[in-house]
Amino acid sequence: MTNNTLRLSGLCLSLSLFAGTPAQAQDDAKSSSITAKLGEAMAQQCAPCHGTNGQAMTEAMPPLAGLPVETFERAMLAYRDGSRDAVIMDRVARGFTDEEIHAMAIWFEKQPYKAWQNTELEEAYKASEAAKNAMGGQQ
Amino acid sequence: MSRLEQQTFDRKITRRDLVKLFGASAVAATGIFGASNKAFAQSAAHVVILGGGVGGSTFAKYLRFADPDVKITIIEQYPEYITCLRSNDVLVGMHTLDELTFNLDTIRSKYNVNVIIDRVVGADFDQKTVRTQKGEVVSYDKLVVSPGIDFVYDNIEGFNEQVADTTHPHAYKAGPQTLKLKQQLENLPQGGTAIIAPPQNPFRCPPGPYERISFFAEYLKKHNPTGKVIVLDPKDRFTKDVPFKKAWERLYGYKTDNSLIEWVSGSDGGQVTRLDPKTNQVQAVVEDFQADLINIIPNQRAGKLAQNLDLTDESGWCPINRHTFESMRHDEVYVLGDSTIADAMPKSGYSANSQAKVCAKAVADTLKGESPGRAIYSNVCYSLAGQNYGVSIAAIYEVRDGLIQPKGDSAGVSEITDKPAQPILEAVYQKNWHREFVKDVFY
Ligand SMILES: Cc1cc2nc3c(=O)[nH]c(=O)nc-3n(C[C@H](O)[C@H](O)[C@H](O)COP(=O)(O)OP(=O)(O)OC[C@H]3O[C@@H](n4cnc5c(N)ncnc54)[C@H](O)[C@@H]3O)c2cc1C
Repeated sequence: MTNNTLRLSGLCLSLSLFAGTPAQAQDDAKSSSITAKLGEAMAQQCAPCHGTNGQAMTEAMPPLAGLPVETFERAMLAYRDGSRDAVIMDRVARGFTDEEIHAMAIWFEKQPYKAWQNTELEEAYKASEAAKNAMGGQQ
Repeated sequence: MSRLEQQTFDRKITRRDLVKLFGASAVAATGIFGASNKAFAQSAAHVVILGGGVGGSTFAKYLRFADPDVKITIIEQYPEYITCLRSNDVLVGMHTLDELTFNLDTIRSKYNVNVIIDRVVGADFDQKTVRTQKGEVVSYDKLVVSPGIDFVYDNIEGFNEQVADTTHPHAYKAGPQTLKLKQQLENLPQGGTAIIAPPQNPFRCPPGPYERISFFAEYLKKHNPTGKVIVLDPKDRFTKDVPFKKAWERLYGYKTDNSLIEWVSGSDGGQVTRLDPKTNQVQAVVEDFQADLINIIPNQRAGKLAQNLDLTDESGWCPINRHTFESMRHDEVYVLGDSTIADAMPKSGYSANSQAKVCAKAVADTLKGESPGRAIYSNVCYSLAGQNYGVSIAAIYEVRDGLIQPKGDSAGVSEITDKPAQPILEAVYQKNWHREFVKDVFY
């Protein structure tokens, strides 16, 4: 997400005020990034326990940032089918489909493994961009 | 720095910053420039957030994640925010209010958010401006309102705001009342009786009163073992009631003759109808009670600001578009958190935080001319039934059949097991959760 594209879309906003809703083609062209976007949106829901962008370094709830995709997926699937002992993660995992878990896994893998307080906003933008690219590459 | 100095300091910074960051038009005293602001596409849109509590602060941070360039302003009435989260702990000395106090400094500096400490007193939805107590007029392209709750005193004779502020604190907003209630618990005579009266649904933090009841019982067990907590409840069920009551059995003799807790349900006449603050008597439907301490938690509705801005409906709460949290009553206005009608989602800090993230993405998408993505929300409420005994409720949510509903098979409360580790781990998670949560909101 560079500043240029944002400025451009700012322009689109003012145009769309007059031209009605944005063209359908735009949605289709973005269909791969929509899943990545949803992955990010879902992953952000984990932050109250696992820290902003999964970057919590506290004692009970493990950081998710930088976890290999397979590790995250394996854990979530085991919580979901009940084969792994859980406190609350069994309930949480039962809210997600395989594809959704996969999208979150890709997103978390790209987040830097360090405490959020020591992370610059710029690094977060880069990680988010990397996750989107990784997701795009998948499809 | 004293509270007042901090406020003056904040104010100097914000006035200067506001003009520097956003140009004179954003602070136009007349609002003349307000309407034309959006037409000039070279300046980025201005999103103004009313209320810098859980919903407002989270929204600002996550809007910055979604859009590096948008102008963001928070208008919050107080320079400091004391979290209600864990304020029950203060009652029994597990935490101090200081440890629960936060401000918007990091939100301002790390996320480039303009912070104005002032009370919002009105809005003009045609001109797209809001007015503050000190006479500031701020124009917006999108307005986000997260004002929390307001207390309703009209159903219990003799109980009102003044009584709550003086002799009978509800302590359901963390602050001076919390300390007063703590004092009252400590002053309870040996063998004395404390009454806790939870509110009718819906209200902020549904497990809050029951966590408080548990803490009172735990305190009595240790310091006043012949004392007792009587719960006068207008309801027959409450959130996590199964694991809560199991914990009460295990820890406080619930259901035995020596129980530290006696719970009177709505059907059994638990609804309180009258308080005599002078004699410390309450009238409930079933009978009159005399007590040494009476803690009534009032019924609730959307925050006063939401009412003043005409964002509420006849229910007293704010109807919203379930996909975006845009107000159903006014365009370009969004409402978050406790004030909203969010169906199955409880009025919790976790919910407000979750909604703020979905809404921030929706606002950013709309500003870019894109349609908002799918909305997926979450909530986990941890409570303590004792210092080392946690109970939780959790769910992931989606919009289905026009309502926010649990997604998949996620919704559930703590299972009752014989594994001693389970409640202990839940308690560890609860404490850990609060530490991480406030960071996700304020840092
Ligand atoms: C005892 C207790 C325990 C709790 N424990 C938990 C818990 O463990 N977990 C959990 O998830 N939730 C818990 N909660 C609930 C949680 O506190 C709320 O759900 C959450 O704060 C809601 O966020 P909000 O943004 O809607 O409102 P708030 O966080 O209350 O924020 C509202 C903000 O708006 C400001 N404001 C209002 N009017 C104006 C105005 N006119 N101008 C400017 N500013 C204004 C206020 O000053 C305030 O800062 C608890 C609540 C209580 C009472």
